[in-house]
Amino acid sequence: MHISVKPHPQFPAIYQVTLEDGAQRLATRNLTPGRNVYGERLIRFEGVEYRVWDAFRSKLAAAINKNLKTVPIKPNHTVLYLGAASGTTASHVSDIVGEKGRVYCVEFASRAIRELVNNVCAYRVNMLPILEDARFPEKYAVFVSGKVDDIYCDIAQPEQAKVLADNADLFLKKHGWIMLAVKSQSIDVTKEPSEVYKQETKVLKNRGFDIEEIVHLEPYDKAHAMIVARFY
Amino acid sequence: MKATIVKCSFGIFAFSEENALVEKVLFPKNPQNAAKTITKIESGKIVDEVARLIKLVKKKGYDKFVFENANLAKEAEKLGIATEVAKPSRAGELVRSNMERFAVETGFVKNVEEFNVWTHNVTMEIAKLRVKGAVEKRDLIIAQAIQTLDDLDKTINLFMSRVREWYGIHFPELDRLVDKHEAYARLILELGNRENFTVEALEKQDVPKSKSEQIAKTAEASMGADLAEADLKQIQSLCKDVLNLYQLRENMEKYLETAMEEVAPNVKAIVGALLGARLIAISGGLTNLARRPASTIQVLGAEKALFRALKSGARPPKHGIIFQHTYLHEAKKWQRGKIARALAGKLAIAARSDAFGGRYIGDDLKADLEKRLEEIREKYTEPPQVPEKKPQQEKKWRKNKRAHKR
Repeated sequence: MHISVKPHPQFPAIYQVTLEDGAQRLATRNLTPGRNVYGERLIRFEGVEYRVWDAFRSKLAAAINKNLKTVPIKPNHTVLYLGAASGTTASHVSDIVGEKGRVYCVEFASRAIRELVNNVCAYRVNMLPILEDARFPEKYAVFVSGKVDDIYCDIAQPEQAKVLADNADLFLKKHGWIMLAVKSQSIDVTKEPSEVYKQETKVLKNRGFDIEEIVHLEPYDKAHAMIVARFY
Repeated sequence: MKATIVKCSFGIFAFSEENALVEKVLFPKNPQNAAKTITKIESGKIVDEVARLIKLVKKKGYDKFVFENANLAKEAEKLGIATEVAKPSRAGELVRSNMERFAVETGFVKNVEEFNVWTHNVTMEIAKLRVKGAVEKRDLIIAQAIQTLDDLDKTINLFMSRVREWYGIHFPELDRLVDKHEAYARLILELGNRENFTVEALEKQDVPKSKSEQIAKTAEASMGADLAEADLKQIQSLCKDVLNLYQLRENMEKYLETAMEEVAPNVKAIVGALLGARLIAISGGLTNLARRPASTIQVLGAEKALFRALKSGARPPKHGIIFQHTYLHEAKKWQRGKIARALAGKLAIAARSDAFGGRYIGDDLKADLEKRLEEIREKYTEPPQVPEKKPQQEKKWRKNKRAHKR
C-alpha cells in the first residue's frame, strides 16, 4: 500500500495519513520542511511535507482521535499555550495556525524550555517562548500583544482551571475558546477522575465559561480528559 | 501632574492621565541588548533608559510617577520622585491591546511584519537569558554528580557479577572467599592464573595471613577448568576497567564532599554529603528541597508507596531515601518512624538555612537531633504491644477514608 494523505473531514489544517501498513494517523503540514521536533516521522505527499502526530505523546491529538467535536485552533489564530514543555504539541499547534498565526508558549521549567528554544522556536517564527509561571499572567503581559483567539492549557497543577481562567481574563477575546487538558492525578490522587473533571468544569463555569464538551483520553492517557469551553 | 510609566518589548513610555503619550525612550534595535534591558527593568533596576525617561518627563512638569512594577517603583523613589503602583494600569492595557500599531506609530518599526519578527527575537533572547540564570546554580551540578555516582555503583556491580561468573569457570571457589569486589578484581589483575595464588603472592597484595593460606589451599585443590592465556587477558582487562571505575567513584565522592560543603553545609552536617546530594537531586535543586515541608522530605524517594497509601488507604511509608542514613537503618524497627520524623524536621531547617542564606547551624541541629534520638531510644526500648487485630480495621489507616474502587 502507498502512503496517502487527506484533509481531516472536520478540522482545517489537520490531516489524516494512511501509512504503508494501513494504519491511520493524524498529521499536520510541516511549517519547517525537513525538520522534525520530537523524532516524529516526516511524510512527503504530492510535494507537501507532513509531520505525523503521535496521539500517545500529544493530548490534543489523542482528543481528536477520541472524536472531539470542536477544535477551536484554526489557521491564522493567535494561541496562548500554557505548559508548552519541550514543544511536542505546541509545534503541531504552530503548524495549524500557520505563518500568519502565532503561538505564545508559556513554560516555567528551564530544562524543558531549553529544548523549546533551541529546537523549536529558533526555526518557527510564529512561536514565542516565554519562561514564566502561568500562575502570574501579568508578568508576561508585556509580550502578548492584543487578545488571543484560543488558550490551550496543559499544566499539571492542582489549580489548573483557576490558572486558565486568570489567563483568560487577561488575554482571551470575548467568545474565544479554551482547551484544558485535565490531569486528574495532579489535582487529587485520592479522588475518582470523574469527580475531578466535574470539579474543574464547575470552576470554569463559575468563571464565565460555557462547557462545550469533555472527552476522556483513554487509552492514550490514563485518567486524563480534554475540556473544550467558550468564554463569555 | 501624574505620569504612568509603561514598559514594552521595544521601549519604555510615559503617558499622561488622559492616556496621551508624553515621552518615549526606545530600546536599541538589537534583540540581545533589549532582552538584557528588559530583564533588568523587570528585576527593578533603574537602567539608563528608565533614568532618561524620568528626567525627560520631569522636565515637562510631571511630579508623580505610576509604575506597574512594584520593585521598579521602590527603586525609582530613590531618585527622589513620588511613585505609585497600579497593576495593570490603564495606559499599560491600552498599549498592550494595540502593541503592533503602537510600535509602528512610535517609529520603532516600519510595519507589523517587522514587529512580529522583533517580538519573536526578543522573547527568544529573554528565554535564553532566563534559562542561563536558572542553570547557573551549582546545586544542579551536584545533582548530576550524585546521579553519576549512583550510576557508577550500578555499573560496577553489573560488571563485577560478570567477572565473578567469568573467572569462576577457572577458579569458582574464590567467589565465596573474597567478598569485596575491589579486592577480587585486583587479585585477578595482579595474579591472573590461580596457580599464582600462593601465600607469599597473596600477602604481597595485603591479604591477611590466615586468609592467604586458606585461598592458596583452595587454589591448589580447585575444581575449576584451565584457562588459556588469551582468555585470561580479556578477563583481566575488564578487571582493570572496573578498578578505574572505582578510582573515578572515589574522586567523585571527594568532589561531592567539597562541593556540598560550599552549597549546602547545613544539610551535609546532618546527613552527610552523599545523602544530602541525593535529596537535592530528587527535589530538583536546593531551593526546591528547601520549599518542601519536613513531612515531604521524610518520604522523598518513597513516592510509589506514598501514593499507593493515599489512594487505597494502606499504611503510608515511614521513610524514603533518608532511610540510607545510619540513624535509621541501624535503628530498631519500631523506632524508625519517630527517628525519620525528627531527622526530616532538622533537614528541612538545614535546607532552608542553606538555600536562603542563613548561617552555619549544622552543629546545633545535629546536637538537637542526637538528643532527641537518645530520648527515643530510651523511651521506646521495647517493641510496642501489638493489639489483637480486628479483621475490619486491619487495612484502614485513616478513618472515613473511602477505599479505592477500580
